[in-house]
Amino acid sequence: MKALVVCAHPRGESFTHALTRAAVRGCERAGHDVTVVDLYELGFRAEMLLEEHRAYHSETPLLDPMTIEHAELVKTHEMLVFVYPTWWGGLPAVLKGWLERVMVLDVAFRFERQRVRPALTHVRRIVGITSYGSPWWAVKLLQDGGRRTLARALRMSCGGHVATTWLGMYSVDTSGIVERAAFLDRVEHTMAHLNAVKARSAGGHR
Amino acid sequence: MRSLVVYAHPDPSSYCAALRDKVVAGLAAAGHELRVTDLYAEGFDPLFTAAEHAAHLDVGAHPHAAAHVADLQWCDQLVLVYPTWWSGQPAMLKGWIDRVWVRGATWELPAGGNRLQGRLRNVRSLVVVTTHGSSKWVNVLQGEPGKRTVSRTLRAVCHRRARTTWIALYGVDRSSLEDRQAFLDAIPRRLASRRLRRLARHRSGAAADGTRP
Repeated sequence: MKALVVCAHPRGESFTHALTRAAVRGCERAGHDVTVVDLYELGFRAEMLLEEHRAYHSETPLLDPMTIEHAELVKTHEMLVFVYPTWWGGLPAVLKGWLERVMVLDVAFRFERQRVRPALTHVRRIVGITSYGSPWWAVKLLQDGGRRTLARALRMSCGGHVATTWLGMYSVDTSGIVERAAFLDRVEHTMAHLNAVKARSAGGHR
Repeated sequence: MRSLVVYAHPDPSSYCAALRDKVVAGLAAAGHELRVTDLYAEGFDPLFTAAEHAAHLDVGAHPHAAAHVADLQWCDQLVLVYPTWWSGQPAMLKGWIDRVWVRGATWELPAGGNRLQGRLRNVRSLVVVTTHGSSKWVNVLQGEPGKRTVSRTLRAVCHRRARTTWIALYGVDRSSLEDRQAFLDAIPRRLASRRLRRLARHRSGAAADGTRP
């Protein structure tokens, strides 16, 4: 499987980047082809511009060479992995903007008889790897908008044959080095064994 | 009553801009003091930078956010006007939240704690005026992340009894001109609900008594 790993954190020395490297190691152990997109390092622009908004409902909504390139990556990868810190209960602006500017007509959805249909039908798995400042119970109380955006809203653009995997590190600000190392191991291990998980769950359902 | 309107849409001729104008007119007619922030027009940069991240736990080291923070600390009511994209706030508005709601002004973190304490206790009302391309039903299936961000996460650092007012037009992509006009016309009335009127009276009374800071 080809895996696209999207990383959204301004600092290269961040825990998010360590998580990205762990995810990549896990994917490689499982024999996946991995492409990493580091949004901050690429200087990805978060906000949609006026001309992009005007072109949004046209046949050619992609105007920026970078969004054209990323849309091609999305179309050719079966696993989408998002690695980000949860800020204010949601995705960092740069990742939210990536969804808005890359996941456009004919990439994420298409219209058939004036109805929105999914276009990410080749995607087999969405993985979210994130850190939360809050403890688990508080994240549940605040209802985790970032997870809902990726595991529900984006998933609805993927058709019926998609699995989701969620790996969350809670209370990250008060966590110790041992807990963080354990979570990094868990991320790598989970990513390395995703195929097995998928085979089992697929077998169970059909 | 003091209202801060924060608006985010790239197109000055959009339906969302018409919503903003209606909101501003409605609040002005109701006697509110107003400040309006147009994030695209002022060229706000939504990218939380590495330097800001390095300093995000410091109190009072956020010069980039100072003007916006002053507006937040000034208002009794925060009104967000935006189109819902990918089930939440546009990146421009999310970036405003990421960069402006800084430590010290909007929240505090006790030593060794992992739960934010609110510092924006002056904000007693959060209002959202937004449009959704998809139907209410699809939004419910998606879990309405944008609504959670405001009514749960942002509200948690505002006044303890702050309430959220959600004014949304669903299915805007398939709506008729009449639907959109009716929604637009209803904005001033919905901004003057009994609860919001009571709150406005209460705040103006406090101002007249000189009890507000």
